[in-house]
Amino acid sequence: MMDLTETQWVRYAVTHPVEGFDDMRWKKSGSLKIAFLIVGLLFFGEIADDRLFGAQFFISYERIFNVVPYIVQSIILFAVWVVGNWAVCTLLDGEGTMKNICIYSAYALIPYVAQLYINVILSHVLIRDESVFLDIIRIIGIGWTAVLLFSAIKSVHQYSFLKTAAAVLLTIAAMLIMLFLLVLMLALLQQIWIFISTVVTEIIYRIKV
Amino acid sequence: MKSKLKRYIPAVTAFAVLASFGISVTASAAAPSDSYNYDRWGDAIPSQAGYTAERAVTGYDLGIDAFNSPSDIFCSHDRLFYIADTGNNRIVAADESLENAVKIYDSFTMPDGSKTSLNKPSGVFVSPENKNMYIADTENSRVLIADTDGNVLMEITKPDSDIFDSRKTFLPQKVTADKAGNIYIVLGNITTGAAMFSPEGSFIGFYGANRVEPTAKIIRNYFRNLFMSEEKRARRTRSVPTGITNFDIDGDFIFTCTASSSQTTDTVKKLNAAGNNIFANYEVTFGDYTPMYDTSRNKVMAPSIVDIDIAEDGNINCLDRTTGRIFQYDEDCNLLFITGAIAHQTGGFDQAAALESLDEDLYVVDSVKNTVTVFTETDFGKTVHKAAALYNEGRYEEALGPWYEVLKSDGNYHRAHIGIASALLRQGDYKGAMKYAKLADAGKIYNKAFEGRRREFLKANFGYILAGTAAFAVIAAAAARLIRRRKKEKEAES
Repeated sequence: MMDLTETQWVRYAVTHPVEGFDDMRWKKSGSLKIAFLIVGLLFFGEIADDRLFGAQFFISYERIFNVVPYIVQSIILFAVWVVGNWAVCTLLDGEGTMKNICIYSAYALIPYVAQLYINVILSHVLIRDESVFLDIIRIIGIGWTAVLLFSAIKSVHQYSFLKTAAAVLLTIAAMLIMLFLLVLMLALLQQIWIFISTVVTEIIYRIKV
Repeated sequence: MKSKLKRYIPAVTAFAVLASFGISVTASAAAPSDSYNYDRWGDAIPSQAGYTAERAVTGYDLGIDAFNSPSDIFCSHDRLFYIADTGNNRIVAADESLENAVKIYDSFTMPDGSKTSLNKPSGVFVSPENKNMYIADTENSRVLIADTDGNVLMEITKPDSDIFDSRKTFLPQKVTADKAGNIYIVLGNITTGAAMFSPEGSFIGFYGANRVEPTAKIIRNYFRNLFMSEEKRARRTRSVPTGITNFDIDGDFIFTCTASSSQTTDTVKKLNAAGNNIFANYEVTFGDYTPMYDTSRNKVMAPSIVDIDIAEDGNINCLDRTTGRIFQYDEDCNLLFITGAIAHQTGGFDQAAALESLDEDLYVVDSVKNTVTVFTETDFGKTVHKAAALYNEGRYEEALGPWYEVLKSDGNYHRAHIGIASALLRQGDYKGAMKYAKLADAGKIYNKAFEGRRREFLKANFGYILAGTAAFAVIAAAAARLIRRRKKEKEAES
């Protein structure tokens, strides 16, 4: 029973929000490759959502293109979620490994990612009066992903409902702390870099003069 | 090496010719600053000048002695300029070409026959209806209404009214009158709006007060005040808006401006007879969008609009004292041109004080340089004004030609993209309208053009789409049946 290929497991997990991830765990299934593919698609989806949207809905600031914000809001956010959840749930008797958390969370993102691409395509077909369709698709995508993410965390750690809710809240807190530390570290590195570059400039100047 | 050098020679000569040409061009254009405008993202970008400074008129040019800190200028119905020459305690009337002084008013005859002189008059207005002069005689704390021969008909002094706080001073700064003869006076130190008087000179009330800007601080203070004792509340600084600085009357509407470096709401208002601001819901920033930071003076050049003028064609000219710039808007508050600077050359100001327009020209009074600077429209300005006027009348197609001409001179001119997009949309050229609406960041026009384009596309290709959908449905159904059959066969085999 339940002899599915990896791609079939993806479909099964996404379409069965309640028991999909539990079955996946029982069958020890899930592919890291597919997970990374989904996160990559999320990255490109975020860019498409911001840059390729139909001009009747919104025109982006096209003068500069900076890829860093898109990396932050897709890849880094996902990585921080995975690490934060792993850190919190290891302390809370969670059974999930980092690899499993990554796979299950990525699978849970599929409705959100799909919603990004569907909306970008539809935005070139619809007009403003019909924008309610875009809103509905967006709400469904986000809601579905939220449910799946909750279910993924619940089954990967084998938690009860309440414990999962607590774990999710703690994970968000952990994410904030990690992001804060990241920003702090970047600022410090920048200071050090400025110091080194000033010293080097000074030495070069002295040699020349 | 030699051949390389040879190749460079023509390039170098071409560059030298071009450079000398460029120098000669800049030398002929005497504007003290580069003109700029705002693009669709609200970034300042170089643009063509809409006005050039023609000359600066001093008192000597009019055949009289020099002005002394003049602070107001008004152009009357019979095309005479009235200049409030504050420091010399007089009103100077000059002809429309600003060549000769027609008359100097330094003393007036009171109704009882006695003579009276002015003391620092800072505002003057001549009514087109009853041809009377209204003078804000500031230091004498009165407003004089006189005929053009200098006979005083009425004197308005501090009103004895319950509404007017008797402890407050009465320092008229600017004065105007509407069609019905009601008199509006901007008072120094009064924040509740302009004082309004009946044609007979009795005090009616205040008109057109500014709103308090709902900043976080004011909201916080409001909630704090709820829990305070009466004494404590009385000692706190009150949140009052800045009083209005100047106004201009245009038909049934009074336009006010407020010079304040801190206030950003209600700096320019268009008030109807009931005192309601028509511009209240417009999303316009008057003056510079992002004020420049002046490093040499450690000061943010926040706009401070000291005078407003409505031209014959409905354009709104605002004079910013901080940057010495005139911001010209059309009647719908779309920015047309930015002219002027803080500079010593002609076309620059030390302290711009008042602004007036006559036909296509602008007149700016500088109260430190003691001059009146005359700006004339450039060819580019003429084209833009023509196009904007046609556009605002709703004659989009007729405005199309002028807008294309505008784009030839300045391919970044934001309003031209909007104008062309609207015209093409009305003509049914949806593809072109989409192109220009996208350039203008005009989502609404783009949306309409896109709707039309979609309808056209569907109409032209409906047969193909229908056939395509039908074919897809048939193929999909067949494929599904095939797959199901194969599955069954497999199950039967196993």
